[in-house]
Amino acid sequence: MDTPKDQTKSQKPKARWAPALFLCLLCTTAFTLGAILQQRVYSWTGSGGGDLMQVLLGNGRRVLADQFFTTADIYFHSGAYPSIFDRQYPSTNSARLARGVQETPEQEDAEHDREIALLNRPIDWIERFGRNFQITKETHLSGGKEREILPWLKLSADLDPKRVDTYTVASYWLRVHLGKPKEAEEFLREGLLANPDSYEILLELGRLYFENYHDLARARNLWEAAYRRWNKREAGKPRPDLRALDQITVRLAWLEEEEGHYAQAIKWLKVALAKKASPNPEGLEARLKELQAKLKEAEAPSPAPKA
Amino acid sequence: MSVEAPSILSTQSPARPSSNAAVIRIENLVVEYPGRGIGQRATTAVKDLNLEVYQGEVFGFLGPNGAGKTSTMQVLLGFQPPTRGAASIFGVDVRQPIARQRIGYLPEMTYYYKFLTSEELLRFYGRIFRIPRPELEVRIDSALKLVELEEARKRLIRTYSKGMQQRIGLAQALINNPDLLILDEPTSGLDPLGRMKVREIIQRLRSEGKTVLFSSHELGEVETVCDRIAIIHRGELQVLGRVADLVEEHQMDLERIFLKIIGYGMNHQREQRA
Amino acid sequence: MNRIRASISTIWAVSGIVIKELYRRKDFYVLFVVTAVITLMMASVNFFHEGKIVRYLKDICLLLIWISALVIAIATTARQLPAERESRTIFPLLAKPVTRGQVVVGKFLGCWLACGIALVVFYVFFGVICLAKQDHIGFWQYFQAIWLQWGMLAIVIGMVLLGSVVFSAPSANATICFVAVVSILILGSHLHKIAITEPEPLSVLLSSLYFLIPHLEWFYAVRDRLVFDQNLIPWVDCLLATLYAAAYVAIFLCGTWMLFRRRVLTT
Ligand SMILES: Nc1ncnc2c1ncn2[C@@H]1O[C@H](COP(=O)(O)OP(=O)(O)OP(=O)(O)O)[C@@H](O)[C@H]1O
Ligand SMILES: [Mg+2]
Repeated sequence: MDTPKDQTKSQKPKARWAPALFLCLLCTTAFTLGAILQQRVYSWTGSGGGDLMQVLLGNGRRVLADQFFTTADIYFHSGAYPSIFDRQYPSTNSARLARGVQETPEQEDAEHDREIALLNRPIDWIERFGRNFQITKETHLSGGKEREILPWLKLSADLDPKRVDTYTVASYWLRVHLGKPKEAEEFLREGLLANPDSYEILLELGRLYFENYHDLARARNLWEAAYRRWNKREAGKPRPDLRALDQITVRLAWLEEEEGHYAQAIKWLKVALAKKASPNPEGLEARLKELQAKLKEAEAPSPAPKA
Repeated sequence: MSVEAPSILSTQSPARPSSNAAVIRIENLVVEYPGRGIGQRATTAVKDLNLEVYQGEVFGFLGPNGAGKTSTMQVLLGFQPPTRGAASIFGVDVRQPIARQRIGYLPEMTYYYKFLTSEELLRFYGRIFRIPRPELEVRIDSALKLVELEEARKRLIRTYSKGMQQRIGLAQALINNPDLLILDEPTSGLDPLGRMKVREIIQRLRSEGKTVLFSSHELGEVETVCDRIAIIHRGELQVLGRVADLVEEHQMDLERIFLKIIGYGMNHQREQRA
Repeated sequence: MNRIRASISTIWAVSGIVIKELYRRKDFYVLFVVTAVITLMMASVNFFHEGKIVRYLKDICLLLIWISALVIAIATTARQLPAERESRTIFPLLAKPVTRGQVVVGKFLGCWLACGIALVVFYVFFGVICLAKQDHIGFWQYFQAIWLQWGMLAIVIGMVLLGSVVFSAPSANATICFVAVVSILILGSHLHKIAITEPEPLSVLLSSLYFLIPHLEWFYAVRDRLVFDQNLIPWVDCLLATLYAAAYVAIFLCGTWMLFRRRVLTT
């Protein structure tokens, strides 16, 4: 028989390990239950719990990605940005930064003046005094400072890789203003991987090859691919993205013209006209006429080049 | 509480108060705590208390738990407004922002700023009394020596034991060299040596002509240091007078008197008889 | 004259305790380390091989600084008076020649100075980051940013101190104040515009709220100005904003004092 002293001795290690063992047991139980429950949750949602999570998280991420894109826009305007309460007309938040990609500078400036005017006058002394602290003067980044918008675009793309705008806008600033076509291409390819169907990215990639590398062959391939994607995705829609179509076709016409393939160029312009893609059909019409004249000239049995 | 402390602990018989100026005067004091919940009656902690404490005396304030000792002291320091009646210290009503410059107070059950060292704590209180820096340092040294916290003076109060906390409380009550000391159970939590030192400190203060009002459950120590005592029970004053007179009058020792007053002796005797 | 001097020295002593508390507790260090680590992590990210991008970093660092400063200010202030009562340190303190008004002002000053010290540490870190990224530093811009942020914190601290005598639980007080401050920062300037579009009783309520609340968002605007290298705010406006903050602090402290003065401490 153990003496009482011995008993306590032999119980001691047991007592010391008991809580740890108990904890282990509890953890095991919890994990097992978790594993079983996860299966059941899949069956509740029908399509698997993972999807549910993705839907929930996905929405949050998308909102955040939009927010970061807006932040890039705010950065581009040096912090001056009308809040949702100051803006009197609904404007999509991507409009301002993306404008640089899509439109001509004159239009951009006109648009801006309108917006500043819309930052309405203060309605009381509190607001008036507060204006002293806010940034109210809009200035655009220039002279290499455009780089400041890049982190936000990158973050936005990381959060929502399906956001096509992010890639095209970032690429535009990288290759046109910051002299970094290599990085732009890399980023666009990243975007293409996530959005294999995107004609927008292909269009921008084509511009990069055309404008920065003067690689007309690849630019043509890319734009033609873009056109095919556009047809696949947009043609059937009641309100297709005509602006993109206009850009693709007109640029293709341009390229073919430069190469001397007038017939091809005419074909593209006709596509543009047929789909009523251009906001300025008269201009296109005129171009078409010019091209047809050139084509005739070229096709006419050349009246001896020396003449 | 070392013997070499710069205490002028006088063993000679203390000077009796010559002047009969009342330092503390309590008149018909009633203290009620409002009932917490709906339908709960208010607790009356102190009922019609009349008391005077004179200049230079050591006054023992006795009573069982919940008798109203702390409540009375809190009225004296202005933490608790009197429900009825009045109280004054040095002739100033306690509801006025009184001359606390001359008071030292040791609350019961207090924790001091845990993130300070005892040295810093005393320096903080000293600065409030606007004691000049060089003198303050001297006083801090001697106060810490008196309560025997010299070893721990640079340690955070967080790390102190209960008795050490009580000691630092005593040190802070003495830092301004007060004329009136109000000590709520100064010996609670102290070891026998500590209790003896507290007794010595009180006696020394009396010899310096200071007034001390303290509450205690240690009847032995009360008997040795107090000039006069008051015993209250359920908020009512039961006994007031000099210890020696009381013993003579009742023909029993202080402990018996105390037990009799709180009604324990009677029941006990009756039970024994039955 | 002498009484004023005595009063100031007492207030100073009380505030010293608060400052000591701040640097002996871990909150500040934790927040600082978190801010530094996140900022340095963000600084090490490579964006398109562009080495000179700096604004996003300033933006994030300043955002973290603002959040940290708010947390420090609110957490420190919210516990001051309740902790004094909880640990009963208020009794030995008030037994000394200290009025309750001095305690309130001392606590405010202590919290405010403690936040000021924390702010300076944070901004030194911020400055180092900017210099490391070869961003030029406009000294006066920095000064205005710190000053106005500190002014805003004064209002917040006053508000929390008032809250700490109104609400019984410090955690409830801290939460309510944090939500209030953040909503003012986000919505404060727009309440009037929202009010105009609302129907009658609500619109009156909203616009009176608009005119009552301290407009912290003015002060917050300095953050953007620092990020986007804007020029200085006119000094007159800085001065006016400072006075504005002082007025609100005075209101809050008065309120705190009036409530605390009558407070029975023994319950
Ligand atoms: N804050 C309070 N709220 C309500 N009642 C209280 C409060 N403080 C004390 N009381 C009540 O008042 C009465 C007197 O309490 P007090 O603390 O004065 O007793 P005491 O004589 O100091 O007792 P002890 O010897 O235990 O310290 C008690 O009945 C107590 O329940
Ligand atoms: Mg008591």
